[in-house]
Amino acid sequence: MKKYITSMAALLISAAALAFAATQNWQIGTKYNITFSNADVSGIFKTFKGAIAFDEKNLDASKFDVSIDVTSINTGNGLQNQHAKSAEWFDAAKYPVITFKSKKITKTGAAYQVTGDLTIHGVTKEISFPFTFQNKGASGVFAASFTVNRLDYHIGKAGDVADALKLSISVPVDKK
Amino acid sequence: MIKRVLLLGIVAGVLAGAAALIYQKVYTASLGADFSAIAKPGGILLSCVIGCIIASLGYWVLHKMLKGKTDIVFNLLFAVLSFATIVPAFGAKLPLDAVSPELFPGLVIPMHFFPVLGWLVLRPIFLKSADTYVTAVNDK
Repeated sequence: MKKYITSMAALLISAAALAFAATQNWQIGTKYNITFSNADVSGIFKTFKGAIAFDEKNLDASKFDVSIDVTSINTGNGLQNQHAKSAEWFDAAKYPVITFKSKKITKTGAAYQVTGDLTIHGVTKEISFPFTFQNKGASGVFAASFTVNRLDYHIGKAGDVADALKLSISVPVDKK
Repeated sequence: MIKRVLLLGIVAGVLAGAAALIYQKVYTASLGADFSAIAKPGGILLSCVIGCIIASLGYWVLHKMLKGKTDIVFNLLFAVLSFATIVPAFGAKLPLDAVSPELFPGLVIPMHFFPVLGWLVLRPIFLKSADTYVTAVNDK
């Protein structure tokens, strides 16, 4: 019996390993674009990195584990940049990165839906948003656009600027 | 008098523009922050010339109204307005691909004072101190 359990466990581990190995890993290209905007503020994050494993035929094994460097924020105005990095807003000294770790990816028509944990300003919340993947063979482009409420992440005070921030993401990738 | 005042504005504007362009070159070379695509040399020169011509017209209008007190009011007004123009420079929103936008005010704010400096420095050459008084007396 013990031998049978060991064999089954080994088989399961091997199957899981094979499934993971079968998932395509992608290298994030340099021409990515991470923008945020609402009626009052807009800007970009210049530094984005992480690991992307994505296979259109194996969504269960696909995974996003990405992060944004908060200090790379650029609103186009030096004073506004400093303000955004201050303790009142992103508090970049204490919370230098914004992270997103996917938990589930599903197909929705021609696009996909990802659910995962978004951590901003030390606050982690589960969010879901749609994204597309333009497969070009050896390369591809992930694109997503969704809205987050900054007050959910304790960023700034209510009423200073609009609460909802639209995030637009475009990430070119190359096969590893 | 209007011809001399306008000529003063043009010459002071060109001088201020030249000083601003030299300052831009030195700023870019020393700090490595190149904003020449945003603050274009032609635009800098034109702004300085237009600013000084407007100042000259303002001086002429003030002279018509205030006579002997023109210099006191004009110098104060020109200096205050020059200070006021730096506010938009702090709030300027640059293209998002611009590197180090925090260095932009350091480039353009000193430039906002070049026209007033140029105009006041050249003023004694184009308008003798007595001119205002003499013209004022003649106007009476």
